[in-house]
Amino acid sequence: MSILAYLDPGTGSLIIQAIIAFFCGVAFTVKLYWRRFKAFFSGKSADKPEENQTPDGE
Amino acid sequence: MERELSSFRDPSGHLYHHAGQIFRQVNAPYSAHYDHLKTSGLYQALTEAGLLIPHEECAPEEAGAPTSAWKILSPERVGFISYPYEWPFGLYKEAALTTLKIQEIALDHGMTLKDASAYNIQVHKGRCLLIDTLSFEKYEKGTPWIAYRQFCQHFLAPLSLMARVGPETGLLMRDFIDGIPLDLACRMLPYTSRFSPGLGMHLFLHAGSQSKHAGNQKSASKSTVTLHSLKGMIDNLASTIEKLELPRKLQTEWSNYHETHNYSNRAHDEKAKIVEAFVKKVSPESVWDLGANTGNYSRIAARTARQVVALDIDPLCTHMLHGGRENAERTILPLTMNLANPSPGIGWAGSERQSLTDRGPADVAMALALIHHLAIVNNVPLSGIASYFSSLGKHLIIEWIPKSDSQIQLMLKNRRDIFGDYSLDSFERHFGESFEILEKVPVPESERTLYLMRRHE
Repeated sequence: MSILAYLDPGTGSLIIQAIIAFFCGVAFTVKLYWRRFKAFFSGKSADKPEENQTPDGE
Repeated sequence: MERELSSFRDPSGHLYHHAGQIFRQVNAPYSAHYDHLKTSGLYQALTEAGLLIPHEECAPEEAGAPTSAWKILSPERVGFISYPYEWPFGLYKEAALTTLKIQEIALDHGMTLKDASAYNIQVHKGRCLLIDTLSFEKYEKGTPWIAYRQFCQHFLAPLSLMARVGPETGLLMRDFIDGIPLDLACRMLPYTSRFSPGLGMHLFLHAGSQSKHAGNQKSASKSTVTLHSLKGMIDNLASTIEKLELPRKLQTEWSNYHETHNYSNRAHDEKAKIVEAFVKKVSPESVWDLGANTGNYSRIAARTARQVVALDIDPLCTHMLHGGRENAERTILPLTMNLANPSPGIGWAGSERQSLTDRGPADVAMALALIHHLAIVNNVPLSGIASYFSSLGKHLIIEWIPKSDSQIQLMLKNRRDIFGDYSLDSFERHFGESFEILEKVPVPESERTLYLMRRHE
């Protein structure tokens, strides 16, 4: 860990972050694939999501 | 050389004032990170997107810096420093999303935000941006986000409370200098909040983990988070915050209430013309609209002034004004402030965050349809109002409202009239002690009078 990190990240925060981030990572993968899937069928680029699309791809 | 009082936490460098300018000293241990900020293209990407304050590097001897300084930066100056406990909900949300956007771009450039303080975000040229150039450090593979806890305390907790408990809870940030403790936020939020996936994870589980591991002797520095997961978490935080809104019911009630006023349309139009003429006469850089309400007169002032700070006690008013500004009106900065209890100096030694007065005076302070709220509702003597206003503005545009006005009659409906001194004569006498009265124009079809004054130097 960096010596410049002058903030105390908090033990409990670090431990839960590892767990939360894992699940968010899985959801993120699903979301990116879902975006590509939709883009494939709508003929739009997956890199440029539509303006109104919610970040969850709902 | 005078060190900026809010800049002491981070050993990477600090801000200081010299010859009327503000500079940022960068210390040698931070050099590798600063170089990476420049060479990775992150600095360029963020400044071009208007997300980071631009700066120029300057020679230490020009900036009165000690020779020990590794580098001196001269950042663009922000017109008015505002604080999270003053931000309307919409602006607070924009600040949170700006922080996450910056973190997302930083990760793409091999860097990460080492802090996520709400005080590092300011409104500059109508948009939120990061003012702390030294907030970045090189990203090391597998490391979690050090500033995650701070982000939740400074942004997610207050925003959830504003959305789900009430917009006035934003004021809590004034008492909790490092953000709202998560366990407190969880106790205040409605029970159902824990079932929202974002709030459930980042606030409730987070607070639970904090209390479970409090006093734990083992260091958690070995916990790892992949870059992909970290990006996923930033994305999740952003969508959690995007979904937070003030209750629609509040907003509807507000617009119904504010469509009414107690004087004729002609009086309304004439008042606007007089105010505009007064503002043009002074041609100010900065205007503070005290008690701005829907921002009608802030908008008029914004046609002339470079920056208008619109202060109102009602957090819904400021929220609606923030969201309702046209592009040309983005120089208006709406802030929630009770003028009977304005922002004090807070933080370490009471001087880390400035009081409202310390951030002034503005070229023009406007107090339209305000004086009766201070004099009658809050019992402040006219002499006290005059003297406080003279600390806020070099010029004053003020509306006199006589006791016969229906608004004042309503205020006195259930109480004894103890305001013998509330008259035009004593108004002019008390304000004459602090100001020179330059103009006095009665508002047609009303009993009200507008004054343009200049304070005695």
